[in-house]
Amino acid sequence: MSFPIVLTFLALILVFFLVPGLFISRRLRVSFSLTNIVRFIKIATSKYDDEEERNEKGSTMGEKVKRERHKMPKHVAVILDGNRHWAEKRGLGTSDGHEAGAKRLIENAKDCFAMGTNTISLFAFSTENWERPEDEVNCLMALFETNFKSEMPYFQREKIKISVIGNRSKISESLLSLIGEVEEATKSYEGKHIIIAIDYSGRFDILQACKSLAKKAKDGLIEVEDINEKAMEKELMTKCSEFPNPDLLIRTSGEQRISNFFLWQSAYSELYFPNVLWPDFGEAEYLEALTWYQQRQRRFGRRV
Amino acid sequence: MDLYDPMMHVSSWIRQVGNLGLDLLWRFIHIVVSLWHIVFGIFEAIESYAISLGFDERYNSIDIKKLRCLAVAVDIADARDVANVIELLQWLTTIGVKQVGLYDSQGLLKKSKDLVLATVPGSFLLEENGKKDFSPDEKRIAIEFISSSDNKEAVMKAANILLQRYLKSSPPENNKGENFFTESHLSEALRVVGENGHVPDLLLVYGPIRSHLGFPAWRLRYTEIVHMGSLKYMRYGSLLKAIHKFTGVRQNYGT
Repeated sequence: MSFPIVLTFLALILVFFLVPGLFISRRLRVSFSLTNIVRFIKIATSKYDDEEERNEKGSTMGEKVKRERHKMPKHVAVILDGNRHWAEKRGLGTSDGHEAGAKRLIENAKDCFAMGTNTISLFAFSTENWERPEDEVNCLMALFETNFKSEMPYFQREKIKISVIGNRSKISESLLSLIGEVEEATKSYEGKHIIIAIDYSGRFDILQACKSLAKKAKDGLIEVEDINEKAMEKELMTKCSEFPNPDLLIRTSGEQRISNFFLWQSAYSELYFPNVLWPDFGEAEYLEALTWYQQRQRRFGRRV
Repeated sequence: MDLYDPMMHVSSWIRQVGNLGLDLLWRFIHIVVSLWHIVFGIFEAIESYAISLGFDERYNSIDIKKLRCLAVAVDIADARDVANVIELLQWLTTIGVKQVGLYDSQGLLKKSKDLVLATVPGSFLLEENGKKDFSPDEKRIAIEFISSSDNKEAVMKAANILLQRYLKSSPPENNKGENFFTESHLSEALRVVGENGHVPDLLLVYGPIRSHLGFPAWRLRYTEIVHMGSLKYMRYGSLLKAIHKFTGVRQNYGT
């Protein structure tokens, strides 16, 4: 009788020492911290729930609701707000704020994928941002070019598909060419997807979808009667994603609006507006967002 | 071979115990976050009552002129209880709000339109009276009733209008559509199909889900969105606080 008890104790000790140990040995480039341990715990429990889902047959509603609470968002959209304010608080230049934001972007993408998210959408540059000072706009465009080049090996190593959405008419030839290369090089990857919105506007997205449908109707590819919401959704720029509608939409810096991002797609997205600037939004903040997301009921306008 | 089965059992047991431990730890984190939210909710409730009783002078005079158009999105469960909606509208009238868009995805409030307009003093249907101006002292409130048919369905109808115009244009094969599919064209087409498109400055969301519940997407570009919790537990102080906070917001509209 004491043998199972001893084994259980040994197992618990092994888990609480082995888990961090495994973490250190497998992820030597990631600092050892409580938040990383918790992240690992979440990966493990979500995988445990996935296995349960695959094996379940005819479960009761109560069990299904319980599993629902552990669901991770498949598509997370982020409005990257606060770079300029972050730099001002530190007495730095705007470009420093944007560079810090770019660095945070890659780090947070890693966290998202580690947590089981499939698609991450980043509102990197809105149509309205063209009205900003020329220096700042040039700095942002240069940052995009630099980061596409420097992170390409990472995208290929981790098999992350990259898609860039937005109105490309004002983007420079060099950046367009780079975007084309990155998209081409990563188009066959599945399971991890980063969508970067550059010169994107939610209204423009709806309009270009209408235009696309009109062209198809004119060319006889679809009947006018078949133009409906589903047809519209297939023409929006998020058609590149397996999960076009974000489950969770995060806007940093405490502002509580979506500023023309994913107007159509975000109808039932959970909105999370943390009061932290984007360069400061790290893994702990993301973990809090996920915990918060899991605590909400999600009903798509219907009674459960 | 003799040792294989017991070893398999042991490793399976260790795996199960390990998974159980991880699961318990994750649930513990959930409990901590829930407790934090409960404590935060208690503080919010106390603050709200203090505001309602006028203890906080900041909320005694709100610059309501900044709030030209308010929208309220109500979860369908809350929308079934029209009495709460009516009370909310009465509060908004007291605060001085002049225009409200009332939304629920299934149009339950649209069906209760007559009851609402009869019960809320000074209320009238926005589309009937249009832009009639009233003096600031008059406690009048224009109400627009909105549902999901004013969202994607309306955009599709408007898109069809633009499509028909495009297909009838001559010659359509040379026309790439730039002259037919602009924001102003779609806004105009939306008006034709009855989607008046009053753009709210502030959207208050009542319900358990912190989303805009499918509120007409075309209108939401720069709208402040504030989640107020369930309508069953609405508080006058929280409403005042949300409106007051909005009046302090400075938008740069991306520039």
